[in-house]
Amino acid sequence: MLKREFVFFLALWKANLLSAMEYRAAFISQVVGMFLNNGVYFIFWVIFFERFKQVNGWGLSDMFLLFGVVAAGFGLANYFFGNTMALADIITSGRLDYYLSLPRPVLPHVLASRSIPSGLGDFVYGVASFLFAGQLTLEAFARFMLGSLLAMVMFLAFMVLVQSLAFWLGNAQLLTQQAINAMVTFSIYPITLFDRTAKFLLFTVIPAAFMGALPAEYIRAPSLARLLVLLAGAGIFLGLALVVFQLGLRRYESGSAIQVQL
Amino acid sequence: MSTANDTTPLPGERVSLLRELGKYFSIFRIQAANRLAYPLDLVIGSLSILMFMWIFLQLWKATYASAGQTTIAGFSIPATLWYLMISETVVLSRPRLWRPISESVKDGSIAYVLNKPYNFLLYHASMGLGDGLLATLFNLILGGALVWLLVGPPPAASGWLYASLAIFFAWWIEFCFSALIGLAAFATEEVAAFDWIYSKILFIFGGLLVPLDFYPAWLQTIARFTPFAYTVYGPARLFVAPSLPAFLSLIGQQLIWLVVMGSIVVVVYRIGVRRLVINGG
Repeated sequence: MLKREFVFFLALWKANLLSAMEYRAAFISQVVGMFLNNGVYFIFWVIFFERFKQVNGWGLSDMFLLFGVVAAGFGLANYFFGNTMALADIITSGRLDYYLSLPRPVLPHVLASRSIPSGLGDFVYGVASFLFAGQLTLEAFARFMLGSLLAMVMFLAFMVLVQSLAFWLGNAQLLTQQAINAMVTFSIYPITLFDRTAKFLLFTVIPAAFMGALPAEYIRAPSLARLLVLLAGAGIFLGLALVVFQLGLRRYESGSAIQVQL
Repeated sequence: MSTANDTTPLPGERVSLLRELGKYFSIFRIQAANRLAYPLDLVIGSLSILMFMWIFLQLWKATYASAGQTTIAGFSIPATLWYLMISETVVLSRPRLWRPISESVKDGSIAYVLNKPYNFLLYHASMGLGDGLLATLFNLILGGALVWLLVGPPPAASGWLYASLAIFFAWWIEFCFSALIGLAAFATEEVAAFDWIYSKILFIFGGLLVPLDFYPAWLQTIARFTPFAYTVYGPARLFVAPSLPAFLSLIGQQLIWLVVMGSIVVVVYRIGVRRLVINGG
């Protein structure tokens, strides 16, 4: 059964890629544009650490690693599950009808039905940033990929969790925007800046630590305990997201609008 | 009586100019009223500044402690936080008009606007100003309240007046860049990437995340040759160190950049409209 779903996902991703290739210039401009966008943003940290060297034990190479894993995780989520940030809009506009009428698991089908090309730019930048961090071994790269995948899972889970509120609240788009801002912003700052209360919030209410600081720590200094914490965090939030989405789906209702799926 | 060379406007012309301005003021007023109809949206939309200011406090507290200094480049922690509150307000409230402008170019709806009795660019500027004014106001109120709570009052009350005027002119320079990005749709389909890169250049040369005074001297020099130093850094620096000479100097530089950028926008718009081909109807 898993194989069948995997083949289905491959077909979706292939269709997304073929569709993007119809607008090749736009695709390339988004990928390259996002890569440059991240690069220019990172100049801030280069200037910052050029002047201050270290802040609470964090230096420039730690920032390369942290930014790399967050960018790669965020990029993977947006490229392979491009509706991740549009779920609330899809729910409120009644566009779930299309997915409900098909014999496939609704949530993964919705999420993977679209690819955002700029996600690829984020991912490539993430890899480049990892290389700049100086951890040039195959083992470190394998840990980076694993960390990025877990960061992706955490981002997906948090997005689904927040946007499933649209089943109860109706319009949750502004909330979604703020949730994205919070998750990404908190994940790209050194966790050592924050006090205990803030850290508690970053592991629970806005689980940005699971998307940035923890995977980065695991890549830099691997241990079984760190890996288990990462896996447990991703597993718990993903489980919670699936449950809340399913509960919300029972409340889902739509009008009789005709939807066209392109 | 008047001669052909007399430049004094006739009473009728004066009325016509006022009517012209009134038209755009109405667009601005309606857009602002639309936004005010959903005050909760405005508050939620301004929550980002609270998050940013709180993170900045943690970052700069740790940075000042690590450096073992109470002031860096003349900035204390409270001054840095107030600077960042204004710089964030400018950037969070900046016009994102490239999106509707590029959409109307791409889908051809610009054709419907061209034969209407208003200017396409001024129409979008009026709409954007309606949005931007309220976003600025809410960001200033929420961000200001939090920073006041965290580090105490701003350095001087006069900073509010000077910075408000400087933010207004900064908004117009930002509008020119946003319009140029939107008008790029005349030449290329996808313009979002231009805005991403532009916004990050604005972050760096505008001193959004750190005052330009903290930069190495060579980078400060480069930044001051760009308009970005007068859209983000200028108003924020003026707020923490307000004075009439600094204010007049900043406004002067902003006006120069506004004339330069405004002229470029008008030229690009005219070239684009001349090249415009719309199929169907």
